[in-house]
Amino acid sequence: MHPGPAGSIVKIMKNIETVCKKIFSLAGKVQCEVMAEVREGALTRFADNVISQNVASSSADYMVRLLDNGRTAKINFNQAGDDSLKRAIISGLEILKKQKKDPALLPLAKPRPVAPGKNLFFKETAELSPAYRAGKAAELAKACKRSGQISCGTFENSASELVIANNLGLFARHRETSATHSVTVRDRDGFGWAERTAHDVNEIPFALLNASARAKAAGSRAPKEIKAGRYTVILEPQAASDILSCLAVFGFAGQLYNEGRSFICGKLGKKLLSPLLTIEDNALDGAAPGMTFDYEGQPRTKVKLIENGIIKAPVHDRKTAKAAKTASTGHALPQPSYMGPIPLNLSVKPGQGTLEDLIKGTERGILVTQFHYTNMLKEQDVEMTGMTRNGTFMVENGKITFPVKNLRFTQNMVEAFSNVEAVSGEAVPCAAWGAMACPAFRIKNFNFSSSTKF
Amino acid sequence: MFKLAAKAIEIAHKHKAEFGDIRIIEERRQNLGVKNGEISSLTDQVTLGYGIRVLCRGAWGFASGSVMTERAVADTALKAIAIAKASRLLMAGRVRLAPEPAYTDFWQTPFTKDPFTIPVETKLDLMFKTDAVLRKNKKIRVASSEMRFIREHQWHMTTDGSRIEQVLLSSGANISATAVENGDVQTRAYPCTHGGQTLAGGWEIIEAMDMPGHAERVRDEAVALLTAPACPAGVSDLIISGNQLALQIHESVGHASELDRVLGYEESYAGSSFATTDKLGHFRYGSPIVNLVADATLPGGLATAGYDDDAVKAQRWHIVKDGILSGYMTNREFCGKIGKKRSRGSCRADGYSNIPITRICNLSLMPGSTPLEQLVGEVKNGIMMENNMSWSIDQKRLNFQFGCEIGWLIKNGKKTKMVKNPTYQGITPEFWGSCDAIADHQQWRLWGVANCGKGQPGQTAMMCHGSSPARFRKIKIGMHG
Repeated sequence: MHPGPAGSIVKIMKNIETVCKKIFSLAGKVQCEVMAEVREGALTRFADNVISQNVASSSADYMVRLLDNGRTAKINFNQAGDDSLKRAIISGLEILKKQKKDPALLPLAKPRPVAPGKNLFFKETAELSPAYRAGKAAELAKACKRSGQISCGTFENSASELVIANNLGLFARHRETSATHSVTVRDRDGFGWAERTAHDVNEIPFALLNASARAKAAGSRAPKEIKAGRYTVILEPQAASDILSCLAVFGFAGQLYNEGRSFICGKLGKKLLSPLLTIEDNALDGAAPGMTFDYEGQPRTKVKLIENGIIKAPVHDRKTAKAAKTASTGHALPQPSYMGPIPLNLSVKPGQGTLEDLIKGTERGILVTQFHYTNMLKEQDVEMTGMTRNGTFMVENGKITFPVKNLRFTQNMVEAFSNVEAVSGEAVPCAAWGAMACPAFRIKNFNFSSSTKF
Repeated sequence: MFKLAAKAIEIAHKHKAEFGDIRIIEERRQNLGVKNGEISSLTDQVTLGYGIRVLCRGAWGFASGSVMTERAVADTALKAIAIAKASRLLMAGRVRLAPEPAYTDFWQTPFTKDPFTIPVETKLDLMFKTDAVLRKNKKIRVASSEMRFIREHQWHMTTDGSRIEQVLLSSGANISATAVENGDVQTRAYPCTHGGQTLAGGWEIIEAMDMPGHAERVRDEAVALLTAPACPAGVSDLIISGNQLALQIHESVGHASELDRVLGYEESYAGSSFATTDKLGHFRYGSPIVNLVADATLPGGLATAGYDDDAVKAQRWHIVKDGILSGYMTNREFCGKIGKKRSRGSCRADGYSNIPITRICNLSLMPGSTPLEQLVGEVKNGIMMENNMSWSIDQKRLNFQFGCEIGWLIKNGKKTKMVKNPTYQGITPEFWGSCDAIADHQQWRLWGVANCGKGQPGQTAMMCHGSSPARFRKIKIGMHG
């Protein structure tokens, strides 16, 4: 990272095993789990063709879970000097003593082999300077200024390392870098948007993203109002991933499944969705890779959630797996977890052709660049609402004919993803609950419930 | 802590920064939860760190750290200065801050019982007692009780000469029951949804809630919703109560009146606002009975403090007065763009690691003069909705749709049968323009929003919205896909 206190953070990363040993020693005979996360991040934000915010942060956070005889307590802190550690652990042990017994509490996980996974750490991405970030903002801003457009957006990079260790011998470590270029362009009353996140900054197609957002903004000027109602929609990957990630998370979370709150309850092995829809959670070597162990240090496994429209299986942690009389799939969140396990590395199987091919095959429909402020109305049906944003277009006889004013959808997504007509051939990285790779979709009979003024 | 803070100020002066500040923050959080007879969370968290802002030759830089040594503070200040230098590559003009006097002060949230001195056993006992009542029906698949306490100790020092120490305390709790039957899922919560009710103060807030005393009703209503008819679709008169009206204020007025959004500085993420500066002072935002007041001095308010994170003293002002757009949430950087010489003091940061940004202050709908019985009695065919379940609004804060936890039909002035999955939809100024009655001060209460997200990197802020139930005519209800 840029020269500064990063040296202190690097030292902490190097010393993490020593810190864990000190914590285990202070914890004594009780079971003890340490989750340590060290992160350095920086973000340059621009608006109105100028840099509006420019920030950097360094943090090192420790989460310690103590278990003893059916009792548990958790303490979080960010100061790891000897005195601070002692104070924190003594306070945790005091809480533990006063705790009620929980008959369902599981002991800490024993160590299990964890696959190495893909390399997700890139030194160059970790060390990008403020001048580099400002330069990326300036490339777009200067081009926009020349053509009377207004640019807004962010360029962000970070490096992080996470360790899960316990005094049963478990020690798992993951590090990764991330860079995101997210741009919005305004052209009078027209808007365009593009975004890409990558572990390696060299995988971000800056020029392509900038050009796409600028063209969309120019093309969406003077949008026309159309009547709300049911339309065929072509969802670009980011729009599709926004709702598909909710379908995956609310449908395939082991705890919601155990509680009878998921649309897949009683439907395993049944064909509920379009045969064109296949989704796998795969942190190991999928299109959206990540940490190869979960937040209990257990190995992540590949889980097929939906195969050709057939509901396959939810994801589990040790607790929900025990209740469902099955094995953990390695999807635990930090414990204890109110939400329970969720899929966080979703790969949606691509189909054939390009986005342009989806448009060409549409007699009458609406092309959606992005959704905004999506939210759940009824989680058991994955009934959602949200707005279109930053480029919504009418498609007629295989061509984009005019931009339309933004629309609100209110739609049962189980129904929507049983109405898939086509899937594009390329899955691209999308922002979602975790990592996700998603293609574009064409869906018939999608419900828009109202329109807005712009 | 001010000794450590002084190092950052020294560096800012040495590099001729027009402005610089450091906020050292020690935060303690305690979260407790009981779910289905088991402890779902019990976390005690203490963090300590600092955020340093510098304005050098008209450009901003910010860096944060948590290594508590003079050397690390100095390094972080230099990092902020290097970032400010990079910001100069792309600027239109120099950032200039509105002046504010220098203050040396100590301010603390008033409370009667420090929640961190209440034993964990006492807190868990209360939740297990509540949980047992919530689960006394087999249709309840999820019973949940939660509590949370936050104490934020701030030391804020600026190159202007301000030296402000504040201790902000908040306490919150909620209970909920989720009933499941035949593929239907219905939840009822008390006092409200989405992390429950949080206010500024101590353990006395939790005592006043009487969680076990409300558990039976919450449980029974969740079960009753399973067999209740669905909210009808159509156009109807609507009475909004509970925390739903608070969220309506938050989303359609609070965010819409943040001046950074209005000026386009949030366009890439949260969006902008229809309430543009050319409308200030004459745009009809709502009917003449609609008065919305921002107030950083409001007792119990989560945005109540002596000073904001720009070191501006707390104030009270109208956002909407007699239905007309009359003000914005402002900070020292942007207030000059609407001709104001002084910031309203709505600039806050999430913890030590984030830069202060324009935030919604406590924002309340002033009570009307209509008794609640009359509010209902004057409705021939209508619906009453309570507590938010789902929220969505477009990026200019115009088209919104909300889903609520529970509804009751109103026929000939009487509240009649319960309906489930109620929703309503509207366009902000048309919606507030249809407000024809607001219940009187006896129904007015404060609702906490403890999880307001904004900014990049994402920040969470807390604020309150006070309201009495209010009536809106001819609203579109009952949208489902």
